[in-house]
Amino acid sequence: MHQGHAERFVQLMAEFERPMRRLCAAYADRAMDREDLFQEIFLAVWRALPAFRGDASTRTWLYRIAHNVALTWQARHRRRDAQETALSEHTGPQGVIDLRRLELKRAVARMPPGDRTLVLLWLEGLSAAEIEDVTGIRAATVAVRLSRIRKALQPDEVSHE
Amino acid sequence: MSEDAYALQSIWMSETMRSEDDVRTAAGRVLDKDRAERRRERRMRGAGAAALVALVPVLIWAAAYGVSPLVRIAYALMAVGCVAGVSAEWLYLAWSRRALPGPDDTRSQLQRTAFMLESQMWLSRTAPLWSSPVFIGVTLICLWLYRERTLASALTVGVLGLAAWIGTGVGAVLATAELGRRRRRLDEALADLRG
Repeated sequence: MHQGHAERFVQLMAEFERPMRRLCAAYADRAMDREDLFQEIFLAVWRALPAFRGDASTRTWLYRIAHNVALTWQARHRRRDAQETALSEHTGPQGVIDLRRLELKRAVARMPPGDRTLVLLWLEGLSAAEIEDVTGIRAATVAVRLSRIRKALQPDEVSHE
Repeated sequence: MSEDAYALQSIWMSETMRSEDDVRTAAGRVLDKDRAERRRERRMRGAGAAALVALVPVLIWAAAYGVSPLVRIAYALMAVGCVAGVSAEWLYLAWSRRALPGPDDTRSQLQRTAFMLESQMWLSRTAPLWSSPVFIGVTLICLWLYRERTLASALTVGVLGLAAWIGTGVGAVLATAELGRRRRRLDEALADLRG
């Protein structure tokens, strides 16, 4: 494989490592599964990279691959019980467990796949037009569905669900 | 967008989970995985090609110069079954590759993957059918052994052939069930995505 592709690949991995790890955490509860999914995503990125001409933005291109991999990965693996995730995995840098984040993650993980895809893209800061580009769902429909999902995700709803 | 909505985004983005490895090590692991998968696929294709090159000419020779018409028909059927088996395996691998997730939009990708899974299910479901020439050939060889040699040798070959056919059938049923389960989950995801 071309050396330039390898360099570009490492750059992409450095740039998108954190968003991709967040995405993996929404699809897989166990650390081992998250790592497996993370590698599968970047494996698909590596294979698609030579054909990437930059017609789409790198971000939407990468999110398309990531969600396609995550959804097909989930079709192959049965989801384990969310309770298996150790609380220590949610401990922040100061040793404090961020309950709001934990509740948000659990609420997202419980969603049906379509809603989860849309909300994950929105939480990562993509606009409705970008979400349309990633999912193929019309921006107007995305906006309506996100409005409903956001309402269900408001902190009060999240913590008392 | 309300303040609460921005708050949700900032809660989400505050996640800082990182791998303990640096990026180059993580990238290296992905490239190793890529190489290992390509090697495995090459091995599977190579095994199919080796079977075609090594087995089929021998079977064709036996079909041409066998000791009796029954034996010649048996070997001819085995050659046909062998070619069908290797072709089916290559087709299955090609469809598996086309089902791999790429940079299409999620809806198109899920549709394509579901279609490919359906094709693989069809191939898997019909495995006992397209592999049947091999086993019919084995049955004819058993018949010839019973007539020209001993009952024991016919039974031995017959039992082995039957066990292999049943094994193929059970394997096909299990593979079809697993592909069907994946297909259903993809259909559910697709239906849910469409809203």
